[in-house]
Amino acid sequence: MPSYFESRKGRRRETLIAGIFLVLALLLYFLPDNYQAPIRRTVRVTVLRPFMGFQAAIADQDTRSVDVSGIRAQRDSLVAVLAAQAPIVEENRRLRALLGLEERAAPTFMPARLVRIGISGGESTFLLNVGTADGVLAGSPVVAAGGLVGVVREAEEHTSQGVDWTHAEFRASAMTADGAAYGIVEPRPGRFREEDLLTLTGAPFHSDIPAGTRIVTSGRGGVYPRGLPIGVVLGIDEADTGWRKSYILRPLVRPESVSHVLVGRKPEGSAAWDVANIWFVPAPPDTAPRGGSGDAAGVAGAGDDR
Amino acid sequence: MDRRWPFVVFIVLLIALHLFLRVGLGLGFWVPDLLTVALLLAARRMPAGYASGLGLAIGLIRDSVNLTTFGSDAVVLTILGYFGSRTRDYFVGDSMFFLAIYLFIGKWVHDALYFVVARVVGVRDAVSTLLIEAPLAAGYAALAGLVLFSAYRAFARER
Repeated sequence: MPSYFESRKGRRRETLIAGIFLVLALLLYFLPDNYQAPIRRTVRVTVLRPFMGFQAAIADQDTRSVDVSGIRAQRDSLVAVLAAQAPIVEENRRLRALLGLEERAAPTFMPARLVRIGISGGESTFLLNVGTADGVLAGSPVVAAGGLVGVVREAEEHTSQGVDWTHAEFRASAMTADGAAYGIVEPRPGRFREEDLLTLTGAPFHSDIPAGTRIVTSGRGGVYPRGLPIGVVLGIDEADTGWRKSYILRPLVRPESVSHVLVGRKPEGSAAWDVANIWFVPAPPDTAPRGGSGDAAGVAGAGDDR
Repeated sequence: MDRRWPFVVFIVLLIALHLFLRVGLGLGFWVPDLLTVALLLAARRMPAGYASGLGLAIGLIRDSVNLTTFGSDAVVLTILGYFGSRTRDYFVGDSMFFLAIYLFIGKWVHDALYFVVARVVGVRDAVSTLLIEAPLAAGYAALAGLVLFSAYRAFARER
């Protein structure tokens, strides 16, 4: 233990050592992201690994102890829906073949367990127990039953880390469910985390989106498939000098309540992907099939995902 | 046995307890910030240079889950460790009253610095974050720190 009163020389040496550590910390802070990622990963898979493994084991235990009657009811409902849809799917496939249209690109979903990291700095991030070995890549959308939760930012072999919609850098290209207005959805932080909402920005000024309208991903930019529900319009946020409007949205999924999710895997060789039929989103007017090109969801430009 | 070791074990246990409760059990922000408490308590008994090194190490643990402002907590805790150790120049002894104020102010300063360095400024409301959330978190951390440090003192038979 050091004495309470150090000599002036000792104090200078300690300040010098502290200065070296501060320079190191600043170096880490200003490192480019591709150099930071391996350091982050190394700490995660060493120091944090046993604790994250413990949380995963508890989550598994919780899953096993869930009341099966609820799951059985859900399964029966899904079987009924699938049975009812089977003839329509077959009919649709035959008609597409007759008209010479390509199959709509359908993503596959990977079930995953979402683990929250209760450390400051990781408030809007989560870990998933799936990675590149399962076909999950940086940019894969993360969805729950209600709709979009977030997006994968870093993918390792068997795990990945992502951000949910409350993260300051979250953006998604979006549209009204009928395709009448497009814009960008971004988080709208409240005074407290529980008050966080979403905003649809950049909607045309002439558009008048009534409260209660469902907002879904537009598919533009190619990050999120078209048709993922994001939120419901609550009202106008602001009208920006007569050029565009912003709308406040109530998110359809609260990230803090989600523990099991689906991670979207983009179909190979496809620029666009579509999940609109899963959430009963009608085809927008500007995405009429054009021979061989699929829909317009992959077109880059204003309103793209970031 | 060297009298330092029980204290070193106590600090390591505090860090492990924080990670176990917050990450392992998934209790998240219901658990007080024992990492900052561990650093502040350790800094009172360490040379300033080493205290800032400990701050850097603890900051790295926290930053490992930070996807956008990596290194921000490492910077903040390095500074906090240094100044935590320097408080010995001005305040002698570890009375419970002093420790309560020291932990409270230390944690509050941490949250305020982090708010600036991690670029939360402009994202969240500064008033509610710094004047409501941060003091509450600081009080909670100080209380937890006092309880745990009292338990350590009783166990290690320190005066």
